[in-house]
Amino acid sequence: MTQTTDLADALLLRRMARGDEDAFAEVYRQKHPAIYRFALHMTGNPAMAEDVTQEVFMALIRDPKRFDPARGTLGGFLFGVARNHLRKRWEQDRRLVAFDGDPDDLRENASVVGSFQRGASGNGAHGNGNGHGSFATATSWDEFTSVETIGRVRRAVATLPENYRVVVVLCELEELSYEEAASALRCPVGTVRSRLHRARAMLVEKLREAHSVGRASAVSE
Amino acid sequence: MDCVRFEKIVHDLERPGTEGFAFREDALAHAESCSHCAPLMTGAESLDAALRALAASNREQQAPPRVGTALIEKFRRQRAASSRRRVQRQIVALSAAAAILLALGFSLYRRTTSGPGVAPVTNVTEKISAPPVASPTVVPEASPVTAAAESLQQNQILASQSEDSAYATTFVPLPYADDPSALDDGAVVRVEMPRAALASFGLPVAAMESDGTVRADLIVSADGTPQAIRLVSQDNSSRSF
Repeated sequence: MTQTTDLADALLLRRMARGDEDAFAEVYRQKHPAIYRFALHMTGNPAMAEDVTQEVFMALIRDPKRFDPARGTLGGFLFGVARNHLRKRWEQDRRLVAFDGDPDDLRENASVVGSFQRGASGNGAHGNGNGHGSFATATSWDEFTSVETIGRVRRAVATLPENYRVVVVLCELEELSYEEAASALRCPVGTVRSRLHRARAMLVEKLREAHSVGRASAVSE
Repeated sequence: MDCVRFEKIVHDLERPGTEGFAFREDALAHAESCSHCAPLMTGAESLDAALRALAASNREQQAPPRVGTALIEKFRRQRAASSRRRVQRQIVALSAAAAILLALGFSLYRRTTSGPGVAPVTNVTEKISAPPVASPTVVPEASPVTAAAESLQQNQILASQSEDSAYATTFVPLPYADDPSALDDGAVVRVEMPRAALASFGLPVAAMESDGTVRADLIVSADGTPQAIRLVSQDNSSRSF
């Protein structure tokens, strides 16, 4: 995000704090799609994503001065608020954290993501990537963009533990830099980098297994 | 490049600004020649492609319009509420300021009505640093003010010790005053004298009643000669408290 954008955001927020409705509408128009997508990737639930988006901007309406430009970008700030709301929701509703560690919830997805237990317990591509080959070895770009493959990737992301999922969503899907993600998550850049590497290794493993399962079921049919 | 370093940067090869991006060519060359790292490279590239596809598929997603509409409505309500709060705060601030001003005004009014002449006398006496002077009876007989001094009443007190409520005029140098320094360091003596005696100080008394007495503060020099005079008038009728 450029300094020009930061300055424009700061000006919009200042106008918004003075009660300028157009400024708020502009902030919402610019920022809400990323927040909604973030919440959607994190929850897999459109209704929940709507709620979180609404809560994030309500927080901004209530206290626009909470955002400190010295501590990061407005986008990063809003992602951070969104993540805090998500965590509160997860604490209130334990069903939503099932993806983080309950294998029972994953069995229904076994045909596409493979075994979560095996994928999560391994060390990803770093540790055992030489025995399976790549999940992409027999695929083309068309396959990657197919609805089925995108669904596999989405589910694989959704099965990551929250700490890993959030960095994948921010750095890979929303294309934030490590620094922006660190600002949003209030953690060191090194933590973001190491979590992302670990998350990617886990994703490679999950997708490889899902790919193997998919090929096996296609052969048996 | 060795395998350890390759594994460290393999997931950053497509990320500008990172070490992996800077050493991308070296990493690619290593992957081509290393059977251990080649699958890692392929896996990372496949993952990049898959994640890009997922991001692209979601790029147009956004919250339904009803969310924005509801937020705009809440923004308006919040603005109205904060506007009301601001007005309330202003009213409270104005009320507080008015109360303070009223209290100050009332305090000043009480001070003015309860001790109207104290301040001028006190101010003058504070400037006078000389000790109380001798009684006017020590004034030499040759002095032009002897007659007036003799007519002074017995109740002479220092003005600085007086607690009378009095209105005082400013000191007027007497026509025969010969010691200007006394105005700064002379003693102030409050006297009560016949009005007619004012004439002996060279003051006009034609328009004044000749009977009765009048209070006055005299500045007297070290030798007891009056140098300046100011009239002090008692106004007990103004005391209402």
